[in-house]
Amino acid sequence: MLSLENVVIYRDDKPLFQLSADVAKGEVLTVMGPSGAGKSTLLQAIAGQLQAPFSVTGQIKVNHVVINDIDVHLRKVGIMFQDALLFEHMTVGENIAFAMPDKAYKNKQLKHDAINTLLVAVELDGIADRNVNTLSGGQQARVSLIRTLASEPDVVLLDEPFSKLDVALRSQIRSWTFSQLKARNMPAVLVTHDKDDALAAGGNVIEIL
Amino acid sequence: MFTHITLVARWCLLLLLCIPVLAGLVGVIFPALGYFPAIGANAFSTQVFATLFGLPDIWQMMWLSLFTGVGSTLLAVIAAFCILATFYQSSLLGKIQGVLSPFLVFPHAAAAISLLFVVSPSGIFAAITTRLNAYFSHAFTSPFVNEISEMALPAANDGTLLYDGLGLSILIALSLKELPFILLMTLSVMSQPLVKKKLTGYVKVGTALGYSPTASFFKLVLPTTFSQIKLPLLAVLVFATSNVEIPLILGPNNPSTLAVAIMHWFNHIDLSMRLLASSAAVVQVAVSAVAVLLFLGTERLVTYIGKRSLSGGNRYFADGALRASGFVIMAFYIILICAVVYTVVVYSFAKQWHFPLLLPEGLTLLHWNTAISALTTPFINTLLLGVLVSTTSLILVLFTLESEQLQPARAVASNAFSVSLFLPLLVPGVAFLYGLVWFQQLIFQNAVWFHTYVAHMVYVVPYVFLSMAVAYRKFDNRYAMVAQSLGKTPWQVFYHVKLPSLFSAIMVAWALGLAISFSQYLPTLLASGGTIPTVTTEAVASVSGSSTRLTAVYVIIQAVMPLIGFMIAWYMPVIATRKRSRQMLVSGTHSNRSANPVQ
Repeated sequence: MLSLENVVIYRDDKPLFQLSADVAKGEVLTVMGPSGAGKSTLLQAIAGQLQAPFSVTGQIKVNHVVINDIDVHLRKVGIMFQDALLFEHMTVGENIAFAMPDKAYKNKQLKHDAINTLLVAVELDGIADRNVNTLSGGQQARVSLIRTLASEPDVVLLDEPFSKLDVALRSQIRSWTFSQLKARNMPAVLVTHDKDDALAAGGNVIEIL
Repeated sequence: MFTHITLVARWCLLLLLCIPVLAGLVGVIFPALGYFPAIGANAFSTQVFATLFGLPDIWQMMWLSLFTGVGSTLLAVIAAFCILATFYQSSLLGKIQGVLSPFLVFPHAAAAISLLFVVSPSGIFAAITTRLNAYFSHAFTSPFVNEISEMALPAANDGTLLYDGLGLSILIALSLKELPFILLMTLSVMSQPLVKKKLTGYVKVGTALGYSPTASFFKLVLPTTFSQIKLPLLAVLVFATSNVEIPLILGPNNPSTLAVAIMHWFNHIDLSMRLLASSAAVVQVAVSAVAVLLFLGTERLVTYIGKRSLSGGNRYFADGALRASGFVIMAFYIILICAVVYTVVVYSFAKQWHFPLLLPEGLTLLHWNTAISALTTPFINTLLLGVLVSTTSLILVLFTLESEQLQPARAVASNAFSVSLFLPLLVPGVAFLYGLVWFQQLIFQNAVWFHTYVAHMVYVVPYVFLSMAVAYRKFDNRYAMVAQSLGKTPWQVFYHVKLPSLFSAIMVAWALGLAISFSQYLPTLLASGGTIPTVTTEAVASVSGSSTRLTAVYVIIQAVMPLIGFMIAWYMPVIATRKRSRQMLVSGTHSNRSANPVQ
């Protein structure tokens, strides 16, 4: 689970907001607020990717371990943005394989099977060898989701991941995302403008100003 | 660990740019003040400067350097802005970039030699004029008067600009070479995502308020971008005041520009002339500084006048005249390029080519054979040096850029960094290179390859950095964030995500570094003490040699070498992409899903 204890985000030593919350496994915490309030900055603080002029105080704990001083790549905190951000020099399968932990699979065949299982879960079986540029927006969003899941994170951060999808696609991708997170028992933080997102997430909602 | 390595690279890059320049300056200041133990001069005095200013031609030399430098830069800047104002919103812009880009990598030496070919009294323009004169006299007078065509010859001779005492030939040649650089650099600033977005908006507002395209360029676009192109413009200016190749090949000899005189004095057999050369090198720094001040003064004046005209609300900005000159300048470039290509190529295959004939008498491969056998070693030297210099500067630059993102420096430090990046371009080469050589001879006398390598690095690194930085900073950092959050170390993110994504930009920067290294004349000549001949040094040397036709071959080789580098840079990414898609096709899963995506 994820715990935020007295987390304060600063911009140039000026506090933006203060926040305490617990997110249990399989739950989604939704953070809402106007643009510029620092929602994305909060996610970057949790992921360890905060950049000047921002800074953070307070404790960020994952499974009761303080992660404030752990290197970004060792935190096991996955992050997703409004763009799918698939690596264009890799195929769909390579994108997912790139995300998988080192030596998680004994041989190539097992890894290949694992990739396919993930793709099947979002109804994209058989596209592992496709170039990411040939995918539709909805397909890219789903690949991006399973790429994040493939890295087996302890926490998933969602930075307005549905805002660029058109309305018809949005609810579908949204329910896919939340059901996958729930199935894997992963805690998640969702940042959004959209009240429907918050409703669909079903967890606590925090509004920051 | 990787973060530390990139930090070290950042420092290496900084030291590599600063140490040679500063050491070089110290190395000329001491002899200029009379301290040069090698020839028994141990006492500091201002005697050398007194001797220098006692020379009858010294003021004329300084004037020539200042006049040609400032004049050419102002002319090139105005002409470049004319072209931009005329074409920046037109569909011809891409074509213009295409026409002018090769100039960027065409070495100065080759440019000067090409101009020498076409504007010389027996060059193609003179030949065409003579033929036209003859034709018209023929047509308008009588069919049997043949003498007139003979008489037209001296007139063409008188019209030549070469070696003129005023330095106009240098001024024009420098402008021709500077204009493409200024134009492309301005365009690259204008195409940065943030700037581009802002400018597009400005132009829309300008148009909506009824401002003509040229007026919106000068009143909205230029004031917004100028601060970003100022530093590169100053580098161009300093280069123009202190360049050696162009005045050496096209300029007057008695007196020459200060930079050419410095080179001759330094290379004089009489070692005591080095004192004089050193003091002149110090004066050269002052001349370039005066040029910079004049330029900045002009900028102030133009800004002041411009500010007042801004609120005047005039919707036009000499539209007709500017558009006309924009087209004329482009036409001039195209004619010049055609003339140069024709002359140089035909010369390289010509047996004999008599003035004023437009075709040679007979073709031969002799010059190519001669050149190829004579250039084998210089060619290998050029290539080896170029690949070594360009590849290492690229690695250093990439690590430095990565370090900027891993550990952003404070504002002051990053300003200091960008100034030091321009340091080798803002201090005249002819001034610090000799001092650098003096130090290098003191330390490792025999390591000529190392010395030449360092001298090249000083010039290549800034350009590779400037070229690479644009793409690197444009790169969407969220890709790096995603990769990191997938558990990848900074090195893995750099190697597996950033390098492949930026592959084409990296190859272009590499090719640019190669081209800059190929074109170096003075740094190669000095640092190697003449022991490492390259294609460029041989080409310059061949100008004073006997065979024009051999020189033509050298020019072609000089022009083609960097172009091959760029062709590799353009095709490598294409090949890489094709290879990937072929692998996908082979694996047989390329179904028709892409045509009918599941959503």
